[in-house]
Amino acid sequence: MSVVITPTMVVQVVISGLLAGALYAMVALGLALIFGVMRVINVAHGTIMMLGAYTTFWWFHLLGVNPYVSLLASMPLLFLVGAILQRTLVARVVDAPELSSLLLTFGISIALVNLAQLGFTSDLRSVEFLTGAFLVGPFAFSKARLVSFAFAVAITLLAYWFLQRTKLGKAIRATSQSSEVAMICGINVGRIHLYTFGIASALAAAGGSLVAVILAIQPEMGQVFTFKSFLVIVLGGAGNYPGALLGGMLLGLVEQLSSLFLTTQLSEAVAYVLLVLVLLLRPTGLLGGRAR
Amino acid sequence: MKRAFLLGLGVALLALALYPLVATGYGIRFMLQLFMWVALAQSWNLMSGLTGYVSFGHVAFFGTGAYAAAILVTTHGWHWGPASLAGGVAAMLLALIIGYPCLRLKGPYFAISMLGLNEVMRVLVSYFEGLTGGGLGLSLPTLHASVQIYYTMGLAAVAVTAAAYFIITSRFGLRLMTIREDEIAAEAMGIDTARHKLYAFLLSAFVPGVVGGFFARDTGYIEPIAVFPLFYTITMIVMALFGGKGTIWGPVLGAVALFVLQELVWARFLYLHQLLFGAIIVLVVLAMPRGILGVLQERYRLPRTL
Repeated sequence: MSVVITPTMVVQVVISGLLAGALYAMVALGLALIFGVMRVINVAHGTIMMLGAYTTFWWFHLLGVNPYVSLLASMPLLFLVGAILQRTLVARVVDAPELSSLLLTFGISIALVNLAQLGFTSDLRSVEFLTGAFLVGPFAFSKARLVSFAFAVAITLLAYWFLQRTKLGKAIRATSQSSEVAMICGINVGRIHLYTFGIASALAAAGGSLVAVILAIQPEMGQVFTFKSFLVIVLGGAGNYPGALLGGMLLGLVEQLSSLFLTTQLSEAVAYVLLVLVLLLRPTGLLGGRAR
Repeated sequence: MKRAFLLGLGVALLALALYPLVATGYGIRFMLQLFMWVALAQSWNLMSGLTGYVSFGHVAFFGTGAYAAAILVTTHGWHWGPASLAGGVAAMLLALIIGYPCLRLKGPYFAISMLGLNEVMRVLVSYFEGLTGGGLGLSLPTLHASVQIYYTMGLAAVAVTAAAYFIITSRFGLRLMTIREDEIAAEAMGIDTARHKLYAFLLSAFVPGVVGGFFARDTGYIEPIAVFPLFYTITMIVMALFGGKGTIWGPVLGAVALFVLQELVWARFLYLHQLLFGAIIVLVVLAMPRGILGVLQERYRLPRTL
C-alpha cells in the first residue's frame, strides 16, 4: 500500500477503537456474568443482541422513536426473553456437562436466527439517525458512534455499580464465587440465575440497540458478536468482571489499528489471531482471572 | 446376533458397491451426498462425541480441504484423488494451529474458538485472491466423474465409520471417553489429556478436508460462501446428535434419517430448515441425550458398543 500513515490518522484510529471497545465491553459483560454465575457459555448471546437491534429498528421505522429512547424498550423486552429462555430451557442444563449447555444455546441461537429471518426477512436494514460527524481540529468523530459510546459507558458503569452496591448485585457476585456457599447463606440461587440471564440479555440488547445506529442489521449479525464477546472475556480473564472493560477496549483498538495498517477485510482475522495468541501465552487473561 | 449383523452389513455394502450399475444420475448424486453427510457427521462425532469438546466450526476443515484440493488441481495439475488427500492434510494443519493452544485448556475455549474459525477462513480465502480467486471462486476443469466420486465418497464414509469402530473399541477411545466424563479424573489416572484431545481433533479434521476435496471436484466450482456455510456445521451436529453422539452407528443412522427426510419432506420447507434443526438440537439435548440409537439400545437391549 502506498498510503502514508500520519500520526493524526493513528490518533483518530485509536479513538475509534476506544469508541467501539466500550460497546464490546458492555456486551461481553453480559456473557461474562452468565459464565461466572452459571458456568454456561451462552452461544445465543449475540443472537439476543440481534433481537435488540431489530427492536430498535422497528420502533424507529414504524413509530419514529429515537433509537436511544428505544433502549427503554429493547432492554426490558430482552430481559424478559432471556429470563424465559433461562427458566424454560437453560435451567435444565446448568449442572450438566458443558457439552449440553453449549449445544443447547447453539440450538436456541439457530432457531432464533431462523425466526428472525422469517419475521423480518434477511434484508439489510439500517437506522438512519445522527449521520455525519463532529469535526474537532484535524479529527472527525462519527456522531452516532460517539453517542453510542456515551450510552455504552453509562450503562456499563451502571451495571458495575449495581453489581458492587446493591443487594441483588452482591448476591450475583456471591453466587459466581461459589453457588454452594451462596445457597448456605440463604441466597435463592435459582432466582439469581434467572436475574443474571435477564440482566445479561438486557446488556446484549443494549448493545444491539446502540449498534443499530452504526452497522447494518440482519438476522445473522449476532454470531460474530458472540465470538467477539468471548474474545473480550478471554482477554480480560474469565470470571474477572472489570477485565471485560480492558478486554473490550483492547479488542476495539486492535481491530481499528489492523484496519489501518492492513485492510478492513482482515481485521476479523487479526482478532482471531489475537485470541489464539492469548490462549497460547496467557490463558488466564491479561489481568489474570480465575484459571479453570 | 452379531453374525447376522455382520452379514447384513456385508450385503448392504455389496449392494452399495453394485448400485452404480443400475442407478440413474439422480440416484448417484443422492447417494453421493448421503455418503458425504455420513462421513462429515461421523468426523464430528470422533472429536465432539468422544471427547465432549464441541466443535462449532467443522465446516472450516471442509472448506479448507476443498480449496487446497481445488488449487492443486487447477494450478498444479494434480489428479483430484491425491489432491483431496492433500486437502485432508491441509485441514489437519489448520486443526493443529487451532487445537494446540485451545485444547491445552479445559472449558469452553475450544468450542468458541471454533465458532469464529469458519468466519475467519472465509475472510482469508476471499482476501488472498491471487491464490483462491477471491469472491469469484475457482473453476475446476470439466470432468464427468460422478461414479468415481460416488465410490471415493462411499469409501470415505466407510473408512471413517471403521475408524470410529476401532477407536471406540480401543484403549485410546476409552481414554477419550474418560476425558469426556471427567477430565480431572482422566488426568489423575495419568492420561495426557491435551495430547489425546489433539490426536482426536486432527483425525476428526482430516476427514472433512478430504471430503471437501471430493466435493470441489464433484461440483466443479467453489467459492467462499459455497464451501464455508455455517449450515453445514449445524447439519453435522444435528445428524450426530440425533443419531446418538459418541457411538459407532449413531452418526450413520442420524445422517441417513435426516438426509432422507430432508430430501423427501424438508426440501419444500427450506425457509424453516434452521428452525427445525435448532428445535431438534434443543429437544435431543433435553430429552434424549443419547439420540435415537440410545433409545433403541434401551428398548431392545442392544449392546452398548454399537
